[in-house]
Amino acid sequence: MADETRKKEILDKLRNGVIQYDEDACREGAQEAIAEGLDANEAIFDGLVSGMEEVGRLFEAQEYFVPEILMCADALYAGLEILKPHCKQMDLGVKGSVVIGTVEGDVHDIGKNLVKMMFDVAGFTVYDLGRDVPLDKFVEEQLKTDSELVCLSAMMTTSMVGMPKVIEKIKEKNPNCMIMIGGAPTSKELADKWGADGYAEDASNALKEAIKMVAFLKKLRDEKAQKK
Amino acid sequence: MDAKQLKQFLHTEGATLVGVGDVTKALPKEIVHLNRGIAIAVNRNLTRETVDQLVRLQTLAEGWLKANGHRSLSIPPDSDRRKDKLITKLYKLFCHKTAATCSGLGWIGKNGLIINEQYGSKLTWATVLTDAPLGPDKPYISSRCGDCDLCVKHCPSGAVQGHLWSLRNPLMEMVSYDKCRSLKSGRTALKGKPNCGFCVTVCPYSRNGGARK
Ligand code: B12
Ligand code: SF4
Ligand code: SF4
Repeated sequence: MADETRKKEILDKLRNGVIQYDEDACREGAQEAIAEGLDANEAIFDGLVSGMEEVGRLFEAQEYFVPEILMCADALYAGLEILKPHCKQMDLGVKGSVVIGTVEGDVHDIGKNLVKMMFDVAGFTVYDLGRDVPLDKFVEEQLKTDSELVCLSAMMTTSMVGMPKVIEKIKEKNPNCMIMIGGAPTSKELADKWGADGYAEDASNALKEAIKMVAFLKKLRDEKAQKK
Repeated sequence: MDAKQLKQFLHTEGATLVGVGDVTKALPKEIVHLNRGIAIAVNRNLTRETVDQLVRLQTLAEGWLKANGHRSLSIPPDSDRRKDKLITKLYKLFCHKTAATCSGLGWIGKNGLIINEQYGSKLTWATVLTDAPLGPDKPYISSRCGDCDLCVKHCPSGAVQGHLWSLRNPLMEMVSYDKCRSLKSGRTALKGKPNCGFCVTVCPYSRNGGARK
């Protein structure tokens, strides 16, 4: 077992590897963590994810933009791939699953895919319905998977009108389910009017939201550890 | 910011052509801040080695930009084949032809390819986008194909439409890619190789470098 200074060194390497989007550093750090007997969960959350939190701050401060975020996430994944098989199963108390798709009549999916990726990074289980998704399919899939979040994307004023219908149907069957909408023609006002719980102006904002969720997962874990 | 030093550096490292274009008009929201496109070309066919060489040049350019305090995003030459990472999803937001025309290294020929005065379309391209305020080169605003229509006549699948490209309608469809693609898959089945590329070889600019001038 590595001593405290060495442990901090490895965690810093993982953290900085993510911040500086250096995949090799993350891989190296992960390998060292395993070789020297560090707890894999700790390496993930106090190393990699803590780096991603800083990335979120840099993004907020407009030091980083979308490309940097994605490269940072790639670095995080590089480390994660090595650490994951050594992880003890974590019970976080939330299931963290999300249904996502672009609504009927709309084939724009770049923004949706960016958002989806960030959910992946945040450790969510993602049910991606793709693009041009029939409205009822969202309702069905939510019921089937019991996801706590549904994300609807639309890039056209003609297709976004389907959103309130989906929201209404889901809320009727499952009032606790959270719904987030996004895409160029949507707005905070529309989200409020239609009864959605969240709104993201564009992929960048949805990324911010998703990063907050990563931070949230980490907080849950920390609280749990404290109770022990 | 003068681009001369960077260009010289990349030339000594093996780049055939290097240009800087103001690509503001072609950028989607996610990357609006990266409004300079550095177009890099090497005088070789698209092979594994060519890709490696261009990626090496891109990495060098990125290092140079970073050392000068700037951000960058490289679009690799084989951008369509890369799917293993998250960043690869951004590649389809930008195409090499745009960087090349904006940096004055070529126009879009009737064959839908970048035509450089000296090398024709026998070049392979890569792009580095950056927020460094590099002084841009003078862009091409229209086609110089003129009356020539050799590629239209010789394309075996009838894919080349024969339009004259201009910056007024830069995204006009020049080539019916479905036809080109189906010809290629047919050939692959027959010969195990997809190669056609008549539209490259038949072009006078590709054949004897600027002889039509
Ligand atoms: C997918 C792809 C194909 C597909 C389909 C092409 C398509 N457009 O759908 C297929 C398999 C058919 C194909 C075939 C070939 N391809 Co190809 N292909 C690509 C790839 C990966 C993406 C192109 C793409 O889809 N771009 C999106 C569309 C919207 O843009 P575009 O048509 O490329 O470019 C337009 C804009 O740039 C715009 N534009 C130009 N200037 C400006 C300026 C402004 C301000 C704006 C807003 C827009 C704008 O005008 C262009 C023409 O309409 C590129 C690599 C890359 N990442 O760019 C190589 C690439 C275009 N291909 C290349 C080559 C060599 C070929 C082939 C000759 C291969 C062969 N030997 O068989 C053939 C030729 C077919 C032909 N006549 O075009 C080279 C071209 C080099 C050159 N000198 O032009 C490239 C650049 C690869 C490289 N790294 O060098 N290709
Ligand atoms: S590659 Fe062949 S089929 Fe395709 S456009 Fe060129 S000449 Fe036509
Ligand atoms: S063959 Fe002629 S028309 Fe075709 S791209 Fe070359 S110059 Fe233009």
